[in-house]
Amino acid sequence: MAAITISKVSKAYGKAAVLQGVELAIENGTFFTLLGPSGCGKTTLLRTIAGFISPDTGKILFDGEDVTRVPVHRRDIGMVFQDYALFPDKTVFANVAYGLRARGHDRSTVEKSVAAHLDRVGLAHLGDRYPAELSGGQRQRAALARALVIRPRVLLMDEPLSNLDAKLRVTMRETILDLQRASRTTTIFVTHDQEEALSMSDRIAILDRGVIAQVGTPEDLYERPANAYVADFIGAANVLPVRILRAAGEGHVIAAIAGHELCCLGSGTARGGEDGKLIARPELLVLGEAEAAPGTPNVLKGQVARRQYLGARTVYTVRIGNELTITAERHAGATHQPLLAPGQPVDVVVPRTSRVVAA
Amino acid sequence: MRQRILPWGALTTLCIAINALFVLFPLLTLVGNSFSGADGIGFDGLARFLATPDYLRGLRNTVVLGVAVTVAATLVGVPFAYIVARYDFPLKNFVALLPVATIIIPEVITCQSWLLVLGNNGFVTKALRDSAGIELPSFYGWGGMIFVMTLVYYTYIYLGTLAALRGFDGQLEEASRSLGRTPVETVFRVVIPTVAPAILVNAMVVFTLVVGNFAVSIILGNRIPLLSIQTYNAFVNEMGGSPVMQSTLSLVMITLVAIVLFVQKRFVERRLVQMAQGRAPAAVRVASWRGMAFAGLVLVVVLLSFLPLVTVFVAAFSESRGPLVRWGTFSLAGIERALTAGVDPILNSLKFASVATAAGIAFAVLASYLIVKKRSAATQALDYLVVLPLTISGTVLGIALVQAFNSGSMVLTGTALIMIVTYVVRRMPFSIRSAASSLYNIPDSLEEASISLGVPPLKTFLKVVVPVMWASVASAFVLMWASTLSELSASIVVYGGGLETLPIAIFRQVDSGRMGPASAYAAVLVVLIVVPIALSVKLLRIRLFATK
Repeated sequence: MAAITISKVSKAYGKAAVLQGVELAIENGTFFTLLGPSGCGKTTLLRTIAGFISPDTGKILFDGEDVTRVPVHRRDIGMVFQDYALFPDKTVFANVAYGLRARGHDRSTVEKSVAAHLDRVGLAHLGDRYPAELSGGQRQRAALARALVIRPRVLLMDEPLSNLDAKLRVTMRETILDLQRASRTTTIFVTHDQEEALSMSDRIAILDRGVIAQVGTPEDLYERPANAYVADFIGAANVLPVRILRAAGEGHVIAAIAGHELCCLGSGTARGGEDGKLIARPELLVLGEAEAAPGTPNVLKGQVARRQYLGARTVYTVRIGNELTITAERHAGATHQPLLAPGQPVDVVVPRTSRVVAA
Repeated sequence: MRQRILPWGALTTLCIAINALFVLFPLLTLVGNSFSGADGIGFDGLARFLATPDYLRGLRNTVVLGVAVTVAATLVGVPFAYIVARYDFPLKNFVALLPVATIIIPEVITCQSWLLVLGNNGFVTKALRDSAGIELPSFYGWGGMIFVMTLVYYTYIYLGTLAALRGFDGQLEEASRSLGRTPVETVFRVVIPTVAPAILVNAMVVFTLVVGNFAVSIILGNRIPLLSIQTYNAFVNEMGGSPVMQSTLSLVMITLVAIVLFVQKRFVERRLVQMAQGRAPAAVRVASWRGMAFAGLVLVVVLLSFLPLVTVFVAAFSESRGPLVRWGTFSLAGIERALTAGVDPILNSLKFASVATAAGIAFAVLASYLIVKKRSAATQALDYLVVLPLTISGTVLGIALVQAFNSGSMVLTGTALIMIVTYVVRRMPFSIRSAASSLYNIPDSLEEASISLGVPPLKTFLKVVVPVMWASVASAFVLMWASTLSELSASIVVYGGGLETLPIAIFRQVDSGRMGPASAYAAVLVVLIVVPIALSVKLLRIRLFATK
């Protein structure tokens, strides 16, 4: 178990910069997620921490010790691969024992540790099986046991759930979290699935083309996205172009959109007289029949363009003026309102807690 | 990412150096010698080749023979593959034996045994002559050569076509039928065009094998001018003199094969069709007269393929005098002599084959790993070097090695080492291909998992990659063992006093008309090939062929 520090790490393949000056501090014992779309550099960063890739510049530190030039096999890491990478010619037991045997542990220690870890992941009865004889979930558990049994300083997981079906993915999340919490192993988890990231992580780093876009707790990222990219990637969001008019005190700004005026939270970088982006979560917008007077602050007047009825909620696409559409949701049960019909004039109330960021 | 150049860089350099020394250097020596004259560079060899009608006839005959055998082998192999792929009939399981025959029966034995059957003193020839007064045409010459070579080489086309047909997407046929084509039209308009490139690729391999063929050509050739024989004769005649003619003829053969392989790589392989979802239509069960006909056909092909084994074993245990085998008698004299006074070739063969197989497979595993898993400019060069021997027929390889290591700082001619080098180089492209095929299926993450668990890269290779490769390595092992024991065309050029192997001994006995000793050696050779293969297939559960 170790604290991981990543200091100014850059990596380029030819002219393509994959990582650009990445800085991260990962505390001991946390569950840390690298999140981003494919090609954002998250797997490259993970493999750099593992040592399979050496950075062009920058350093990797484990507990303050520079490991940048330490070869993978001496870094004391545990890694879980996307395709599990179980040795097909070895039994589950031999797979899990592999790292312990490489470390020269004696027979009885190996047997005891392996048995304990197989038990912990619920595979105690399958030690004699070969990987080909296991289901996807069982393979995943075996790979997890193999990585954890050596008590690594850091556990690295590269999209470990992406090969499982939806239902199994949810149960495996819990298994992984339980094991991580029990061992307090510093864990770095790579995924492109925001739901996975939000539900599992202590902290998340969102990557955008080799640069860290934002680091924070799941709540930070959802409620206080630093920019439009983060807002768009985490959860659904309306990201709409606005003109910032002036500051309004208490961190608020007045912005203009499609002939309406809004008063919203401004981010530190959004300044009056500049273009900005409004970030509005569909579930926080209040949608109602048109009754407010024109010019009421924070009310956008529009028309229902499309309706998607999903049972628990209904998603409306509302046209504001000629160029703008905005997505808003209404949950069933909260209010027993009738469904709105396409073509119907409506008011969309943008809460003052919505954010305006620099464009 | 490579963190350090070592150890893979050093191993790549070593592999390239070995190839440069034993493949590139001999080839360059050969080229140099063919263009050498009294005062440095000269074109005497080429001029003499173009001015000698016999050589030109040799070139023409070689091409004619190549085309004839290729066509015959295709006519046998393709319909046979179609029947096996698409129909189910009694005795069908016997077809699994066919490729085995090609592996375990050396060409020289096939040739010799057919002489025992259809040669001047063959038992069928004699039976027809004595009972019905029918005189069969001589087995020596075009007829015999095409007959035996077709039997030896049709399996290449059969196996290639079978694999293509088994990977064929049956929905294409259903689509054609739904659009209004009859089943027969569909075969000619959809199935055949789709598998044609696969057939052609294998047909071209057969052509190159015929061009390089030595054993059948020299035993049955009956002084018909053929390039491979002329090259060998030039080598024998120029012993001790200037090697201009042997080098020139070798170069002509290399060029001929290289052209064919170039066309194959450049134009034919590109047309190979990759089926997205190949679910071949299930074999149709046929009964009654058609089933009987197919069963009969299989039986005939299997019998023709295995007849040499039976003939040779019976002859080995019969009394014989010169070219005459007295069928129906029993004698242990031949076998006894082979195992006592004449035991040297047996011991030599065993010795060379075991060392060459071990060395060749170790090299193939390492080189294929470097080529597939450690891609770099250097391994790319290695990749080209290791397939170079495909263009070199056995005779030419032998000549090149003799020329390269006859003088200078490294004299190897007449040593056991040159025999082993010859075997390893000859087999190298095939061994590397089969070792590499399984490597493509090993994901990189497997090695990374091992390294991440604390095992250094080189040890990971031995602990993780080699065991997973094991199945294909084992089958490469078996194939190399068999082909090395059977090798004649290159070893007959490089061998010297005390280095005679079994195929060389068999050839010399046949050449001087002593069928008894030849059969005894042939029987021993087959046993040496078959017993270890049978044991290892049984014990190690090796699957020799992807398609059965």
